Amino acid sequence: MSMSEAVTPPTVSVENVSRWYGNVVAVNDISFALGPGITGLLGPNGAGKSTLLNMLSGLLKPSNGQALVMGEPAWRNPSVYKRLGLVPEREAVYDFLTGQDFVRLSARLHDLPDVDAASLRALEAVELTDAKDRKSGGYSKGMKQRLKIAASIVHQPSILLLDEPFNGADPRQRLRMMDMLRRMAREGATILFSSHILEEVERLAENVLVIVAGRLAASGDFHAIRRLMTDRPHAVMLRSSDNRGLAAALVGEPAIFGLDLAEEGLTVRTSDLLAFASIAPRLAQKAGVTLFELSPTDESLESVFSYLVQR
Amino acid sequence: MIGFIFLLTLRQLIGRRSTLLLAGLAALPVLLAIVFRLSDTGTEAGEWTAQVLYLGLVVTAVLPLTALLLGTCVLGDEFEDGTAVYLLTKPLPRWQILAPKLAAAWLLTASLVLTSTVVSGVIALKGGDSAIITGFGIAMVIAALAYCTVFVVLSVATTRALIAGLIYVFLWEGAVTGIFEGVRYLSIRHTALGIADWIAAVPEDTFDAYVGGETAAILLAVAIIGGALFANRKLEQVEVRESS
Repeated sequence: MSMSEAVTPPTVSVENVSRWYGNVVAVNDISFALGPGITGLLGPNGAGKSTLLNMLSGLLKPSNGQALVMGEPAWRNPSVYKRLGLVPEREAVYDFLTGQDFVRLSARLHDLPDVDAASLRALEAVELTDAKDRKSGGYSKGMKQRLKIAASIVHQPSILLLDEPFNGADPRQRLRMMDMLRRMAREGATILFSSHILEEVERLAENVLVIVAGRLAASGDFHAIRRLMTDRPHAVMLRSSDNRGLAAALVGEPAIFGLDLAEEGLTVRTSDLLAFASIAPRLAQKAGVTLFELSPTDESLESVFSYLVQR
Repeated sequence: MIGFIFLLTLRQLIGRRSTLLLAGLAALPVLLAIVFRLSDTGTEAGEWTAQVLYLGLVVTAVLPLTALLLGTCVLGDEFEDGTAVYLLTKPLPRWQILAPKLAAAWLLTASLVLTSTVVSGVIALKGGDSAIITGFGIAMVIAALAYCTVFVVLSVATTRALIAGLIYVFLWEGAVTGIFEGVRYLSIRHTALGIADWIAAVPEDTFDAYVGGETAAILLAVAIIGGALFANRKLEQVEVRESS
């Protein structure tokens, strides 16, 4: 399912957008459109997530194509910030300001009528009211993260872009921040957040954009993509007292569709990792082979993403 | 809006350790003037103040170095540490970010250099011949704006603003304009001296600037207005990159 089919009208969209730095292509011909709700931008480090978010927030000029906010180009268009909030990845805040002054500054620059009320509301939303009078330079990484979110939502934007927002947050803070974002989404906000952690996206996002090496590898409903990730072929390395004998015992199993016997061990390719993990020890025992090791070889997120790209 | 960014920038500048160093730099002419007063060199005070104190130290080193460090950091530091994003992602035309940043750098530079100029001049001249102090004082304030504008331009145009600024101050203004007199028209230092000479109206044997007063005023105005417009244009096109 393409996301552009799922939502109309889009509040945020990119059309054939690319961005390169010299010879390096950071984002390569990506198109999507998003409406209200939470979308996760998932991909390994260096995939181009921040570049994409920076183009959407008007901080980077697309080399090709365009990034649109409410139908208007984001680049060189400061008026989009009336409706858009950005939580940057970098930790830096104005260390010499108190938490409340930092959020107040944001409210003032948005020319809000009641700066104090708006800043207190934003600080409450991220549960920073107790620390609001402390200098932000003394905040923990998680507190700074929440402070950045407070500053970005002080004008109650209808679009919120967050670059790795859960970095540094402890599990409790993470859950609270997720609740807050869900609440904003229920109230009609379009939220796009980037993460390289599958579980974060799984917990929060209804929709997902998977970006790998600058390309959009998959997009749509998270559960459909998760199924693709789970059902993909897995490679498992086995070491035993008799690898050849073990290969002979395993070859007839329907869950196994490939075997590779090498000096360092036996590599098995299976479509059902859990089923294989349960039958392999039994078959080995039956064949009189002692199993020393059974380890998946391609469980890194990068390999999962690579699989999605190849499909 | 402008006021908040101006105050924010002043707090940033005043909180920097390097600003303390700049205060120390501004104190150097005062110390030199005290040494001059305490020692009997036989040199005429007006000539010494113009040639040695102002031309040799304030105009050549204190003013450009102060403006360089403050002018390049008002925006440059924010781009470097990532806080510029909090200003750039607001519904403000970029000139409303640039103007207060430039004004803060100018105010602090001018305050430090003017204080240094006036206090050291009063000490060296025993309070007499205020024309020299007035002339150089006004010239320092105007030149501070020109220097700050140029260094702000460098900070939005290059990531090596400090190095580019040092090359301008020491290589271009220090060496090249010394060898080729004609290019002094392209030097803030020499145009500032033109202003000082114009206002102070001191005898030629005390001090004589290469660039005439009216010409200097026009050149400085061009540098300030042209530089500010160019900086605004660069700021409108500036890109913020984060690790992806």
